[in-house]
Amino acid sequence: MPDASRKFLVGLVCLLAAGAGIGWLYDAPATGVLAAALIALFWQVRHLLAFVRATRTRDFEVFRVGDGIWQQIFSSFSYQQARAARYKRQYRQLLREIRKSTDAMPDGAVILDENHEIVMCNRAAKALAGLKPKKDRGQRVDNILRDPKLTKLLKSETYARAIEIPSPVRDDGWLNCRVVPYGADQKLLVLRDVTESMRLARMRRDFVANASHELRSPLTVVTGYLDTLADDEAMPRDWAMPVTQMQIQARRMNRIVSELLELSRLESAGPADVEERVDVGGLLSAARRALGMPGDTAPIDVVVDSAARLRGSASEIESLITNLVSNAVRHTPVDGSVTLTWRSDADGAELSVTDTGEGIDAEHLPRLTERFFRVDRGRAREDGGVGLGLAIVKHILGRHDGRLEVRSERGKGSTFTCHFPASRLAMPSPATLRGERRPA
Amino acid sequence: MQASDLTDHISRRFNKDLEDLRNMVLSMGGVVETQLSRAIAAIVSGDSELGLKVANDDYKVNKLEVAIDEECNRLLATRSPAAGDLRLIVAIIKTITDLERIGDEAEKIGFLASKLAAMDRPSDSYRELKNLGTHVSHMLRDAMNAFARLDVADATDVVLEDERVDDEYELIQRQCITFMMEDPRSIKRVMNVTWAARSLERIGDHAKNICEYVIYMVEGKDVRHTVLGDDETPED
Repeated sequence: MPDASRKFLVGLVCLLAAGAGIGWLYDAPATGVLAAALIALFWQVRHLLAFVRATRTRDFEVFRVGDGIWQQIFSSFSYQQARAARYKRQYRQLLREIRKSTDAMPDGAVILDENHEIVMCNRAAKALAGLKPKKDRGQRVDNILRDPKLTKLLKSETYARAIEIPSPVRDDGWLNCRVVPYGADQKLLVLRDVTESMRLARMRRDFVANASHELRSPLTVVTGYLDTLADDEAMPRDWAMPVTQMQIQARRMNRIVSELLELSRLESAGPADVEERVDVGGLLSAARRALGMPGDTAPIDVVVDSAARLRGSASEIESLITNLVSNAVRHTPVDGSVTLTWRSDADGAELSVTDTGEGIDAEHLPRLTERFFRVDRGRAREDGGVGLGLAIVKHILGRHDGRLEVRSERGKGSTFTCHFPASRLAMPSPATLRGERRPA
Repeated sequence: MQASDLTDHISRRFNKDLEDLRNMVLSMGGVVETQLSRAIAAIVSGDSELGLKVANDDYKVNKLEVAIDEECNRLLATRSPAAGDLRLIVAIIKTITDLERIGDEAEKIGFLASKLAAMDRPSDSYRELKNLGTHVSHMLRDAMNAFARLDVADATDVVLEDERVDDEYELIQRQCITFMMEDPRSIKRVMNVTWAARSLERIGDHAKNICEYVIYMVEGKDVRHTVLGDDETPED
């Protein structure tokens, strides 16, 4: 028991004993104890009131010196208060540091609550998106950054994708928006100025498109003359070989140019529209008829396990299939086999092309879809590949929300699988199904 | 009046309804803003595909207008709002009409862009249209921001800005007349430019109207057909 408390109790007991003693002298001990207790009560109430007044006026002079119980209460009270004030100062300092560091961040950061309302934003967000930190608190963020794409992203609940929206403050500027969920239903919206990189990407796209376009007309002239020369009876025999070679190479160049143009068209267009219903099974059969030459190439089998239609662009899906199948046929010996499969379930659908060709080493798989990437630099050029096929496949898949998966083993063959989400599928009505069953 | 004042009712549902209504108007504003900036981009870069896309996408704006209008009617019928709430709903009913008209003008510009893309392009590739377009889309953006923040000062700025847009339109018109007199063969093309400029100028007027509704909503004061500015409130 602390000193002050013991002293207080001893004092109280002494006072009561004294009251009892004096009362006993006058033959009324109970009245004496009562009078002593009243004195003690009066004394305590006076101090209590003084203490309450002191907390209000902050004038604790009376309680500062001495070692009574009230001085004890005051000292622990003031100690707690000082500690709270110190913590408060420390936290305020820490908060200020954090604010300073978030303000120093080059990317805009906006903290959102569960209703997408702005809780806090840093200085970069103010500059990039024109947000007003004080005024816009509690305002929904898509009320200020009113781009339909952002509203859609916030509604999506998964926040999987980053999107680009036009900058609300800078003409011709672009912002990259990413939403990161954290904690209990909180979200962080990260904004980054991507004007420069968007401009560079567009310049690169324009360059490839323009260069390919410009190359096309001289090439047409060259192939035209070469064709005439090749058909010319009067041409010396020694020239036949070089002219044929030139013809082959000119055709190859033509193909590269048209594939580059196709690629840049795919890049600059938005996502493929969803109105068309593509009969993938039918396209696979058509690819077999077009690319399989009995005796010359490995036999092609088509397995169609699903009547589902793909919502997308028929011409692009056709080009995707042609690219995959012609790759498979090129890399498979005549005694091998190529299998084309179309199947679907509740999670989506997959289109796969399996061959028993030479296969690809695992180290090359990640780079397969790069432009002009070749597994075997020396060989592939002779068999007529251009090196853009898989890049085109990847872009077409991207435009159809699809994903490419490649499994391959050296010497055993490869499987190229295109996965499509269920949202891209449509089931045909029974009537159209009956119509298609008729023999073609 | 602050944004939080809207959400100050005994009925939680009514708060939420009003808040949702306001969010719907702002998202409609977002769609219209995108339409306008695409239409301007189409005309400046001579992109006929983009122009036609804008013209075909106008149905989205129309659909939103119908939906918001219906919601306003429902709230008026079931809640019989008064004072600030009533002003909010009345202002919204008027705002969406103007937004829808801006959508129509953007559709028109998109269509003109697809027509202009097929014709000769002047060496400055319609710089004056681009300037007017940027000016007007800033006005629309500021108008929607003023609506979101219930900011009377910003709204007043936009209303005053409209005069400058009118001047710019006047200039383009004069320029177009000169072109037509110099080279009568260009009349067909320049007429289209005039129409596009006219549409942009109309969009400026609609943005101004929206700001006047914002002022009405916040202050309960009708400032249409009055002169705003320094002598805004002579009786004070």
